[in-house]
Amino acid sequence: MDHQMQNNDGQEQPKEDRPSPLMEKIQQLGQTNVPQLSQDSKIHCLTIVGQIEGHLQLPPQNKTTKYEHLIPQIVAIEQNPKIEGLLVILNTVGGDVEAGLAISEMLASLSKPTVSIVLGGGHSIGVPIAVSCDHSFIAETATMTIHPIRLTGLVIGVPQTFEYLDKMQDRVINFVTKHSNIEEQQFKDLMFAKGNLTRDIGTNVVGSDAVQYGLIDSVGGVGPALQKLNELIDMNKDESEGLVQ
Amino acid sequence: MILYTMMPEELIFPLDSSTYNTQKVVTHNGIPLLVEKLEGPECRVLRVMSSDPNHYMNDAYMPGTKITLT
Repeated sequence: MDHQMQNNDGQEQPKEDRPSPLMEKIQQLGQTNVPQLSQDSKIHCLTIVGQIEGHLQLPPQNKTTKYEHLIPQIVAIEQNPKIEGLLVILNTVGGDVEAGLAISEMLASLSKPTVSIVLGGGHSIGVPIAVSCDHSFIAETATMTIHPIRLTGLVIGVPQTFEYLDKMQDRVINFVTKHSNIEEQQFKDLMFAKGNLTRDIGTNVVGSDAVQYGLIDSVGGVGPALQKLNELIDMNKDESEGLVQ
Repeated sequence: MILYTMMPEELIFPLDSSTYNTQKVVTHNGIPLLVEKLEGPECRVLRVMSSDPNHYMNDAYMPGTKITLT
């Protein structure tokens, strides 16, 4: 009874407040209804484009990926229980070694399933980022340049500089060999190969070659990548359910 | 003049520090955006910085659109 009375009250009140319900209807019809996807996407996407910026800020006309933007996002993705997986899309020329390794380590230690796709190019420090994910894809036409690291700016001409550079190089090699199926010697051979790049040392590895060397897991684009990610998410769910029992 | 050097361009020809202040990252309605400052509170969206793919479907924050910061 109470409900009915309230309903009746509710119906009477608008008639007194608003003289024309027809006007209200016309206004409602005039609004466009944008189709909305479900509010929370369970798969989030990180794009790593342009140069990976290090400690030096690049001028604004450069397209850059800043680690101070990416790392809090990765932390947020790890903490948000609604996010179940992460897709990393790479089209980068490389950049700062420390910043690139920082992003790679963050992605590798993420507890949620991660899949990376290299589109266009994933050069130099983009290589550890690509292999840091649980499964990596490369587009058939995409390339990855593997080359030794280099220093810019003031270099002191002492043997210690070389040792420092050599140690930094080992960090990259160790990370890549640990997170992919490539052998250390094979990776070093590609890195120090002569005659492949004009006036430079290294190798430009194209799509299926990267898979052949064991650097990348498979050739494919966004479709296979999302399919794989959903598979990994399902496996992750099964595992966590199994632990509860 | 040709400079054969391994030094990055911005180290040899440093830009005025004011050019670095034309862009900034703001959060508008929960969406992180890279914007270019225009006159007054107006800004032009350069890039959506979010990791949520749904944020890229929002027409109001398409790169190139102008937003007013409050």
